[in-house]
Amino acid sequence: MFKNEEMEINLGPQHPSTHGVLRVKLRLDGETVTHCRPMIGYLHRGVEKICENQSFFQGQVWTDRMDYCSAVANNLGWAEANEKLLGITVPRRAQYIRTLLNEFNRIASHLIWLGTHAMDIGALTVFLYAFREREDVLDINEAFCGSRLTTTAFRIGGLREDLPPGFEKMVRKFLAKFSDCLEEYEALLTENRIWKKRTIGVARLSAEDAIALGVTGPMLRAAGVAYDIRKAFPYAAYAEMDFEIPTRTEADTYARYQVRMAEMRQSARIIQQCMDGMPEGPVMAKLPKILRSEVNEVYHATESPKGEIGYYLVGEKGSLNPYRFHVRAPGFINLQSLPKMAEGGLIADVVAAIGSLDIVLGEIDR
Amino acid sequence: MPTPTLTQSIVITLIQCLLVVIFVFVVVPLTVFAERKVLGHLQQRLGSTRVASGHIGVTGWMNRGMWKWGKIPVLSYWRGIPGLVGDVLKLILKEDVIPAKADKFVFFLAPSISMVAAIVVFAAISFVPGTFFTFPTWFPYLGGLPVSGGISDINVGLLWILGVATVGVYGIVLAGWSSNSKYPLLGGLRSAAQMVSYEVPLTLSLLAPVVLSASLNFSEMSSRMAVGMPAWALIPQVIGFLLYLTCGFAETNRLPFDMPEAENELVAGFHTEYSGMKFGLFYLAEYINMTVVSALASAFFLGGPWLLPFGLQGLLNPYLPGFLSWFAAPHAIFFVAKIVFLLFTYIWVRGTIPRYRYDQIMAVGWKYLIPLALVNLLLAAVIRCFVV
Repeated sequence: MFKNEEMEINLGPQHPSTHGVLRVKLRLDGETVTHCRPMIGYLHRGVEKICENQSFFQGQVWTDRMDYCSAVANNLGWAEANEKLLGITVPRRAQYIRTLLNEFNRIASHLIWLGTHAMDIGALTVFLYAFREREDVLDINEAFCGSRLTTTAFRIGGLREDLPPGFEKMVRKFLAKFSDCLEEYEALLTENRIWKKRTIGVARLSAEDAIALGVTGPMLRAAGVAYDIRKAFPYAAYAEMDFEIPTRTEADTYARYQVRMAEMRQSARIIQQCMDGMPEGPVMAKLPKILRSEVNEVYHATESPKGEIGYYLVGEKGSLNPYRFHVRAPGFINLQSLPKMAEGGLIADVVAAIGSLDIVLGEIDR
Repeated sequence: MPTPTLTQSIVITLIQCLLVVIFVFVVVPLTVFAERKVLGHLQQRLGSTRVASGHIGVTGWMNRGMWKWGKIPVLSYWRGIPGLVGDVLKLILKEDVIPAKADKFVFFLAPSISMVAAIVVFAAISFVPGTFFTFPTWFPYLGGLPVSGGISDINVGLLWILGVATVGVYGIVLAGWSSNSKYPLLGGLRSAAQMVSYEVPLTLSLLAPVVLSASLNFSEMSSRMAVGMPAWALIPQVIGFLLYLTCGFAETNRLPFDMPEAENELVAGFHTEYSGMKFGLFYLAEYINMTVVSALASAFFLGGPWLLPFGLQGLLNPYLPGFLSWFAAPHAIFFVAKIVFLLFTYIWVRGTIPRYRYDQIMAVGWKYLIPLALVNLLLAAVIRCFVV
């Protein structure tokens, strides 16, 4: 008598909680999601192809524009991959400054995630609080490299400039208040019953599934796998830093929230150590006038706030630009897990799952 | 006191209607304004607490020199008012888009249903028992006639209020359905389920005051609950009050129960396809509904137009000097003040907690609120039998 029909609905590409131009094709049975496929490509600019046609120096501005919420982390990966390719050793002071800025970037990126994720679940206030502190991080970015979002912070071989005067004061001021700020966010969320109800047990992704799908970063660590490239394959100055890898075993949205909150604390710790142990010396290696690649190919992975960002560069020996370039974008690969997390849940859980993925479409579509 | 003729009483009723409409159209923009400002302060927003027309008009004058004490602006309440003015202008001036495949008649009808259902409720709400004011004798045509504190203080007032308020859900459901679009449809369906579910505990929690005051008449209920109970009705009916407030949040679609328009899931829910003043009507209806819910909570649980709890009113009365004597009597101002406080609570909650998921809302409603409301009703019956 009554026909039972599933409804197909497009979540995005213009939707308040798809964090950009992600389109998710959902099939709904009432409110339950039976089928979920992310559709990407709305922001495709061909970053990889563009970089192949530019010199090694020029590519970096494009890495800013991939994951624009963590531009510094992208810059770092690009610079280090190129240094490997070109056979350059970076001075120790530059390594420290890179580590410091990278951790600031992690904080900024996680703050954006926290704000938008909380807003997706309906907690409006956290969003504005998180952006308030992110503003300070962007000010620090601005003090260092004159730009707030698309930083182009580093150069192949080190840094363009040393730290500006007054930089240390800014950093110390930020560190002094940041743990209080974290407590402020946690006061609004961590023990909030509605927040817990909305996140605990939601969008589960077990460690096996996560590894099978290639998921990295906080998503993987929330499933209990303590894999962090900063520890596993230390780069920049991470080998000299003392920090922990926060993990949880619940593998749900709440666990991811806890992991990211703990990571921000660890980042602050690393920044503290960088600032305290900052070595003296030059910040730029001696480079030849024209950069020519030394080896044929290199894959260099770093831990971006979203997960493993890998730069795969192929350069014929002696060439002026990369012959082939590919980015292993963490958001792109993490997004594969969305159907696994969302199918069988409710439509509100899809939003929570997307939020807990922490995706930036600039990076996914490249 | 002269008895009004039929025409005179019609004119008086029209005046009362006008007063209520004025009240609504003053309170609603002020609530929106307050929402901007309170949220602005809670969330440290930079715009809504600071923006002011610094150079022109009354606000500019208030923000400059005159009202500053040293460097601190004494009267900065007006900061943020350009935002409100802009909002209202935008609503009025924006193009009114009707989707090509929409059911046009129902699409038009839906916002009016919401709006009418919200505002008609005020017919049975009495702001103060008895006479609100009397026309002075020199007044043409109506000289010496009393104007009561409510438009129509009928003896089934509460029934009228609950009945009419329920009609409001049709506005939302029809809006969702007539838009011929998927997100509004989901929003409409959600709201149908949610509002019907929460209607039950809401009504049950209001039944307790009915039992306690043995009346359905608004002003009678309000005065019995205020005068006959300790601490207004807050002590015997604290569960009822919290229940009613919770269900009120759900009925008015405010956070944490703003399912029908859950911004981050359903774009804008049932009013996704609405723009211009048709959207404005939904917006108005939501805020009027908030006012109505606050008015009922204030009347039945917070002592309505009476100022002091614990029978202090009677103790205080003999000592009040003449010009303060209106403090002692029930007064519409106190009623409005309590409404304003409850409206503030709405904004406060919005700034604090996240949103429930749809199935969780239903679970809370059916598994916790309804049984609790029944227990509360039983409690009221026990109090009625053995205490009062």
